[in-house]
This record gives sequence, C-alpha cells and structure tokens, in this order.
Amino acid sequence: MESRICFSLNGKDVSITTDPLRRLIDVLREDFDCKGVKEGCSEGECGACSILLNGKMVTSCIIPVGAADGQQIMTIEGISATEKGKVIIDAFADGGAVQCGFCIPGMVIATYYLLSNNPDPTEDEIRLGLSGNICRCTGYDLIVESVRLAAKRGGELWKK
Amino acid sequence: MVVGDISRAIRRVDAVSKCKGTVKYVSDYSFGDCLWGRLVRSSIPRGRILAIHLPPMPDGYRFVTYKDLPEGGHNYLHMIATDWKCFAENEVRYVGETIGIMVGPDKDTVENLRQQIKIDYEEQTPAVTIDEGLACKGGAFVNDDNIHCRLSLKVGDVDEAFRKAAKVVTETIETGFQEHIYLETNGACCIPEDDHYVIYASSQCPFYISKSISPLLNLTPDKVVVRHTTTGGAFGGKEHFPDVVCGPLLVAAYVMKKGVKMIFDREEDIENSVKRHPSKVTFKTALDKDGNILGMDSVVCYNVGGYLSSSFVVLQRGCFHVTGCYSFPSIRSVGLGVATNTFPSCAFRGFGAPQTIFAVETHLCHIAEMLGIDPLEYKSRYFIKQGDTTSTNGKIVERVMIPEMLEQVKKASDYDRKSKAYKWGSGRGIGISFYNHGGAFTGNGEQAIIKARCQLHKFANGDVEILCSQTEMGQGFHTILPKIAAYVLGIPIEKVIFRNPDTSRVPDSGPTAASRSTMIVGELVERAANLMKPRYDKEEDFTVETHYEHPEGYPWDQNTFQGYAYLGYGWGVCAVEVEVDPCTAEITTKGIWSSHDCGHPIDEKIVHGQVNGGVLQGLGWGSTEVMQNTDGHFKQTSMSDYIIPTSMDFPKQGVYLVDNPYPWGPFGAKGMGELVFNGSAAAYIDAVSRAIGKRINRIPLPTEEVMNYMLHGTDLRSEIEEVR
Amino acid sequence: MEEVKCYLPKTLKEALEIKAKVDVLPLAGGSDLMVSHKRTLGLTPVFEKPVMIIRNLPELKRIYLNEKGECCIGAGCTSAEIAENTLCPWHLRQAASRMGAIGLRNSATIAGNLANASPKGDTPGPLYLLDARVRLSSVRGDREVLVSDFIVKYRTIDLLPDELITQIIVPLSEDDFDYIFWHKVGTRKANAISKITLSQAIRFAPDGKTVEDFRLSATSTGSKTNRSRDVEKLLIGREITDETIESVVEGFDRIISPRAMPEFRREATRRMIRRFLSEAAKKPSSKVIDTYDGYHMTGAPVPRGEENG
Repeated sequence: MESRICFSLNGKDVSITTDPLRRLIDVLREDFDCKGVKEGCSEGECGACSILLNGKMVTSCIIPVGAADGQQIMTIEGISATEKGKVIIDAFADGGAVQCGFCIPGMVIATYYLLSNNPDPTEDEIRLGLSGNICRCTGYDLIVESVRLAAKRGGELWKK
Repeated sequence: MVVGDISRAIRRVDAVSKCKGTVKYVSDYSFGDCLWGRLVRSSIPRGRILAIHLPPMPDGYRFVTYKDLPEGGHNYLHMIATDWKCFAENEVRYVGETIGIMVGPDKDTVENLRQQIKIDYEEQTPAVTIDEGLACKGGAFVNDDNIHCRLSLKVGDVDEAFRKAAKVVTETIETGFQEHIYLETNGACCIPEDDHYVIYASSQCPFYISKSISPLLNLTPDKVVVRHTTTGGAFGGKEHFPDVVCGPLLVAAYVMKKGVKMIFDREEDIENSVKRHPSKVTFKTALDKDGNILGMDSVVCYNVGGYLSSSFVVLQRGCFHVTGCYSFPSIRSVGLGVATNTFPSCAFRGFGAPQTIFAVETHLCHIAEMLGIDPLEYKSRYFIKQGDTTSTNGKIVERVMIPEMLEQVKKASDYDRKSKAYKWGSGRGIGISFYNHGGAFTGNGEQAIIKARCQLHKFANGDVEILCSQTEMGQGFHTILPKIAAYVLGIPIEKVIFRNPDTSRVPDSGPTAASRSTMIVGELVERAANLMKPRYDKEEDFTVETHYEHPEGYPWDQNTFQGYAYLGYGWGVCAVEVEVDPCTAEITTKGIWSSHDCGHPIDEKIVHGQVNGGVLQGLGWGSTEVMQNTDGHFKQTSMSDYIIPTSMDFPKQGVYLVDNPYPWGPFGAKGMGELVFNGSAAAYIDAVSRAIGKRINRIPLPTEEVMNYMLHGTDLRSEIEEVR
Repeated sequence: MEEVKCYLPKTLKEALEIKAKVDVLPLAGGSDLMVSHKRTLGLTPVFEKPVMIIRNLPELKRIYLNEKGECCIGAGCTSAEIAENTLCPWHLRQAASRMGAIGLRNSATIAGNLANASPKGDTPGPLYLLDARVRLSSVRGDREVLVSDFIVKYRTIDLLPDELITQIIVPLSEDDFDYIFWHKVGTRKANAISKITLSQAIRFAPDGKTVEDFRLSATSTGSKTNRSRDVEKLLIGREITDETIESVVEGFDRIISPRAMPEFRREATRRMIRRFLSEAAKKPSSKVIDTYDGYHMTGAPVPRGEENG
C-alpha cells in the first residue's frame, strides 16, 4: 500500500509516494540520499540516526515515514549548511571530537538541539544533552569539550 | 598547513567531512546493480546437519553453500590457523555458524526466503563455559581434551619458591565476554571484474581478507582485490572477522556472476560476531613470612570458542603479560585455549593482555589487603625496571617511567590522602592499577611474518602519496601518517595524499592491529620521507620504498617463546575513585586519572582521544558490559541490553603523559591504541572493592553483582581461600 | 482493491471512526512497535494487522489542570513534554525524564508506555502511586479506569477493539504529600532500562507524627507494577517506628515477585523503603528524599584523615 507523503526536508518541500510504514531513516537515506543519517542500532538507542523533527531531536529509525506527513525535517545535510551547524562542526574539528565518525552526525544534531535550547550549558548539562548518542571511540570527553567550544564561539548565535 | 611541532595537535584531516556526514562508509555506496545477501546460520550450538529444506526459489535467487565451491576450492578461512570453515558442511560447532548465503536481487524477497529455509539437526550436548570445555561436556570435539592450544613459560625456580614458602595463596580471577559495539556494523560487497574479484569492506586489514578468502575459489590472493572503505570503529572486531563476512560473498559472487552486498543489522552483528575471550586465571602464589612474593604460578584459560583461528596468538600475548608491570623472583604460567561451543573469540583491543593484567592486578590487591597493606605500597615493591627479566626471559630494553607516572597520578588524584581516609567498606574507595602493552607483533614477527613495506610517491605537482595498507578506523592514522611525512619533507600536510588502501595498488605494510601502525609503519614513512627529502626538489615523479628492519641483538624464539617478546612497551598508571549507593549498590565514579607512556606522542589530541576512549572502554568491560552465554546463545542481542557507557556514566578524565622517546619509532613514538584499554577495569574494581570492603574476583560488575558482593562477599582482610 | 495496511487520520474523530470499523494497531511514537516489528536494515516493518499512525493528532497533545485541579495529560504527549511541564506531578516528571534516550523521549508517548504494559515501563509506577486514571474513547463515548486496573497483567490491557487511549488523569501531585521519593536503578546512568524503580510518598497528620497517607509502588519487580493498599495500611494511622517500617518492608517483600536478579531487587527495595521512612521520620527540610546524601554506608560521613586498620 502506498500513500503520498509530503514534508519539508532541510527547508525544501518534498513529497514521495511510498508505504507509510517504511522507516523514516530508509526513506531519507534511499530516496533523498541523506547518507549522513547513520544506522547504528535500529531501536532508537544509539542516536546515530538523529534528525530534527519539527525542531526536536528524534531517532529516525523508529519513526514510520507516514508520521512525517506535513512535518518539518532537518538532517545533518541541512544542519551542516546553517551558520549554527558550521560553528559546531568547526568546534568539533578543533576540539578533537571526531574519531571513527559514525556517531558524529548524530552528535552534531544533539549539540545543535542542546545549544538551541540552552546556549550556555554546564558540563553536566552537556553530558545529559549527549547521553542519547552512543560513541564507542572517544570516551566523550573531547566531544563534551567541543560542545563547550561551540557554545562559546557561537555566543549570541545560540540565543537567536 | 606546515607541521610545526610534531606533538602539537592539528585538525584531523577527516574531521569536517565526518561531521557533515559526507564520508562514505560501506553501507553508503550503491554499488550499482548488486544482489543482496543474507547469511543462514546454525541455530544450535553443537550438532550435525541432517537436512536443509529450501522453499521454491524464484528466478535469480539462490541459496549458496559449501557445495558451490569450485573444484580445487578450499572451504576454510585462512586466518592464522585454517580450521574455521567458510560454510559449515555437516558439523556445526556454535550458534551463528555460517551454513549458507541466500542471495537475490530484492532484499525483501531474500529475507523472506531466508526465513523459510528450515534446517534439521541432530543436536549434541554443547560445552559453553571454560569449565564445561575443560570437562569435555558432551565429549571432546577438539583433540581429545578440548584444548585448542597451549603454552608454558618459566622464569627462575618456582618449585623452590613453593618449597620455601611460609604461605601459599590460591585464587581465581574471571573476566567475561566483551562485544566491540563499533558503531558501524559489519558490511561488505564483492563484485566480479574481469579475471578477479573486488571486495569493498569495513575492515582493519585488507590484505588479511585477500589471503584468507582467496583459497575458497582456489585463487591467488592478488585475484581478490580489497578496497577498504572508511571504517566506523573496529577495536579488533574487524581484524579477522571481515573474512567471515567476505568469504560467503566471494563464493556467492562467483556463483551468481554478479556483485553481492551484505550489511549486518545490529542484532545480527551482536549475535553473530567475535567477542573478547572470557578468561579464568588461577594464581598460586608463594609468600614468605613477611608476605613477600617468592614465586607465582598461574594457569591462564581463555574461552576460544568453536575454532582456533587467531586465538593461539591471543593466548600467547595473555601469558606474556601475566606478570603485568612487575618482576617476581620466579614465575610459571601455563596457558590453555579451551574449545567451547560458542562463537569463536578473536581480537579485541589488548589482544589477550587485558585479561591477565586485570587478573594479576586484582590478585596483588587481594594479597596486599589480606596483609593489611595499601595495594599501591605492595605493588610498588615489584615494579619492573630497565634491564629486568621479563616473563619470557628477555630483558626490559627501555627506561620504565612508572615512578614518574605514578607521581603524576598520585598528585592529580590525591591518592595518598584518599587511600588512607576512605576506610575499607566505608562506601568510598580509590583504586590504582599499573599496566603495559607490548607494541607490535611479538618477538621478531614483524621481520619474520609481516615484512612490512611502504612507499612514498612524489608527483610532478609536488604532491606526495603514501602507499601502504594501513586503515583509518577512527584512531587517526589518516592524520598521523601524513603529518609525519609532511613534517619530514617540510611541505604542507595538504600536499600529502593518503587514501583508503586498495590491495592492487599499495604494498603490504601489514595489518592495522597490534598497536603497530604508528610504531612500525610510521617509522617506515619517516624513513621513506628522509630518503625522499634530498630528491624532492630535484626530481619530478618518483617513488621511494622502505622495508622493516628488526634491531639486532634482541633474539626471540617463536618455538620456545623465549627472548625479547617486545622491544617497546607502552606503560600506564590509572586511578579511579568511586562511591557506592548504600541502598541500591549503584556505583558513581567520582574521578579517573591516568598517565601513559607512549614514547613521544605524534599528536597530543589524537593521543588524548585514544586515552579517553580506551580507558572508558575498559571501564565498560569492568562494570556494565554483561554478555551472558550459558546455553550457546548470547543473551544480550541489542544495544539496549548490552550496556556500554554513555556520556553520563563516567566523569571527565584527567589525562597525563610522559615523554619517553623510543629509539626505533618515528620521532620516538610507540604503540598506544591497546595500552590505554588495559588497566582501567583493574583500578575501578580495586576502588569498588575497597569501597564495599569485599574481595571481587570477576568482571563485569553490574549493580546487582555489587549488591551480591556487599551481601555475600569475603572481607578484604580475610585469608584468601579459593572459592570454586 | 488493495488492502489498507496503514491509516493516517488527521483528527481524533477520524481516528475513532477508523477504530470503530477496523481492528487497527495505533502507533504514536514508534519506540515500542517499530522496534518490536523491525526486520533487517532497509526493510519495512511487518505488522500483524493494519496500523493507524496517530503521532500528530492535535487533540492528544494537551496538558492542563481540570476544574478539580487534576492533571490531564493528552495520550499523545511525549516523555519529553511531560518531563518539562511543571503541571505534571513530580514523580511522573522524574520517570519521564529518565526514560530511554533523549531522541526517544521526543517520540515515546505516555499512552504507548501504558499500552505496552511492560513491567519495566517507566511511567506506570508513578501513575499507580497517584491513583491515575486512563480515559478510553470510542465513537460510543468515553470511559475512565484506574491505570492499575487498565494494565490487567503482563502485556495485557483493558482496551476494547474500538477504543483509543485519549487521556491520562492524575488526581494527586507532590503537593498532597510531605515527603516524596523516586529512584530508578537503571542498567546505566542514562539511556537505561529499569532494573528496579521505587516511587514513594508520605503525608503526616497535623500532629506531625501519625502517618495520614503513605504510598509505595515498584516497577521491574514482577509481571506488572506493584502497589498494595494493604501494605500501605500497615503504616497509615500509625507512627514511623522500627517496627512499622519493618512491617511495611516485609509486607511489600511478600507482594513482589521478581524473576531475574531477585535478591538484588528485593534487597534494594527493602533498603529504599527503610531509607525513605526513616528519613521522613526525621522531618528533613528537603521534601525530596533520595537513596543517600553523600558517600557513607553506615549513617555518618567518614571523617577525613581517618586511618585504615
């Protein structure tokens, strides 16, 4: 069974005729080539497939695309082109946040979501903000440092 | 950017593209008109296959098994041993053993067909644990004693030590399975091209794959070209295991005459991949009347699983590290690789060393506590020094900076005060551990087995390409190696090209494993760059090549395991502070401080990241990472029930380094990727056992086990009596 | 005509009409159903019956206080929305804020957590404690049942085929108690499944000694959330003494039936009950009581500088 599903993807209106029960992650990766959305666990546990749905961070592996009908989606492809996204990515590169990189697009999304809601977080708040994103390489410390750096460098940007 | 100070951090070359999600991992490639593959596996731990019932196969779909191998093809995977079969024939030895691969054009159909394949077995009683394996439960299935491999080591006269002993203490320390949880699951694609096959794989060691699977089709390794794809974490789990993935793909591609692709989902990956060897180390230690160690006897048992594959080498490294950072008057160690009906165990960061280091650290704590001595004071009596004899009757070649590292950690952690202030059983505790890791392949393996080669090519435009088989899997090698070349040549790092290796165009510089890449291949690149440098401005297009040369005067005998096992060790000291929730037994870690000697660091930020990640992975192994297997099936099969640390579980680490240049490494660098894993679990368990005042003999230690020890554990001061 | 496998209603009315005609599986956040029905990478989940996606129904997203002051929570509210809304009772906010990962909390709904009827579910504990009701709606009308009756047994709920969970009504809040306790022992510090979670609340009579109300519920201790009015009555009307504490501890121990790690779950439960009641008896200034204040095991902090031995 197929339905026509319309949503906004990274600021552009898109539509697709497909099975509404397909997982959003599969539609984003296969039909819209958003390969930065990574699949780590398939159960909403690791955060690698994080996206923003109506501005809120969600894991796209547990959402049927039918639930995205009429909604707004931002993926790493969209986030990385924004001013805020660039600040985060720059801070991650300078702060040594990146190792194997598989969790990192999700971490960038988590950071964007955190700093957009809390522009000047404490270390504990940063750790809480990243706690839904599993990383096996870094031990998190340099990611936490990088988020702090992004908060500092972004300054007023995060309050917009 | 010109590299100024080699140690000063630079931006990783892959950081921005990984953040943006534009770096391609194997599942991100389309590979054109490819078929999908799904493995069909044994659902029982031990038995015989009686019949395989296939559903009707639509056109273009096929179930491929060992029967599809061409004449002359060998149904094995050539890892280190050749006993692990690509496809089970009649016998199955573990749950998850590959029986065949279902292939076809539509993934949904492939999956539906796979689900309909029914296999009849004659089930046999499995041996799952080390004890069951040793007891030959269900009858031996490897040799006549279920021992895959064994070795023994002896230094000094240990029998004399026991004759003279005032007291002999015996205890057993156990560690569990550990799953790698690289964030990117295993995946590969095999495509036939002209007279050869091309493999794209998430992996550590592209040449291993060629060598391992080419015999399946009776091909020479050069006919199986491996193109490495950027790898989302490996930790040893993609050292040999990709052979298990790629072997069936190669046979399927041969049969179907088409490319075949396979990506594991997480559940499939956890249930059906290699793990860290569970271990059981039994110490018998001879003490004089003052509690000094006269001799230490140990039996080191590793759960190898159904096939030997690389496990003998893992067991060797385990036994070589059984004395940790210490020198005892006499030692004896017997290592046994036990056959069980579990998924074969394989490489995992530390490669056998973490288990014995955890065991000896914990054993020394227990002796010290029994004697009423601070474990640090007791351990420090036996610190090994330059020139001391090792467990293989070699000598420690380098300066050992444990005293300096200990000072750093003591100062940062306030160890001395806390160790006194936190009474045993008070709910708070601080623990400390000492550890090392022999860099690169054991003994003369680099020269005798690997024979690493590396090339630098200069193009007319001034760009320099590094040609070697090292892979980037997160550890930063795509930055480290160009940094070395750029520094030596005095050119901007942007002018150095280092691509994911393709076995048809790079020389074999050995596997990306054994903490050898920077230490060995980094040195080859440094040397090559030095050869290139005087010609760089004069010549347009040329290649230089370097070969590994083992330093003279450090003999090693691989038959007797005698001599210089390692020329350069990484060294580490780690302190951990914890507190215990008196109601719930939950542990909160209050501080983690470590100091490491990795020679002279090539990039401080990359080293820092490795320390953080390795220490945390070790803490996970010691605490929450429970992977049970009592009936042949792994009980934990997802990331919600196999519990690795989040950003909230442990606090920020204090990271310290010492500078101890290694004469044979690039700019004095040594290996460090595994070292940083080896000691944190021991420090954590030391801290927890002091906090609850009870002796802890096994990891992992989830909350319910802490409670169990609180309720039933043995007091730290009591006599050590072996609990069986 | 092709069989409809998935309905996408835009309004609650539309959803109820579909429910009246077809036996559909409502799917809101997806955190349970999409996971339990998943196949391998890239494949669409397969469900045993048609699915109705109700993630975005606006009627199910409200949180407000009704005329009786009861907190009314729309069935489609997510854990994150509940955790950050101070109209919601404290115990429930605690539970919602510690449910799964952040991204999951922005999807998982309270109704889904109840419909799943897992003994490890995070929200039933507080909802049992606070006598919460669940509103079940159909084209025939609405009915309300206690959450503790709605969850019949392990993975079984009292929901008729044409009904949809539309609201959770919580009549009590922390304001009704003098001291409150909520503690989850998870598989780790965040992003965790419950090993044992205890919710407790107590109110003293005006004399300051007699216990006027006391409540206690536990999750992950049996086939469903545990609460027992009979056990609570062992303390109500009495004062907190060592004897009454032990009667509650023993009474509660008898009603729970943990299968995995029973000793741990029982012992942690006993200790947490003792801790809450003995602390409440001391009348601390803080309304919230947790498992411990600092780092000691015996009551008094370890003096600095004390030697071992």
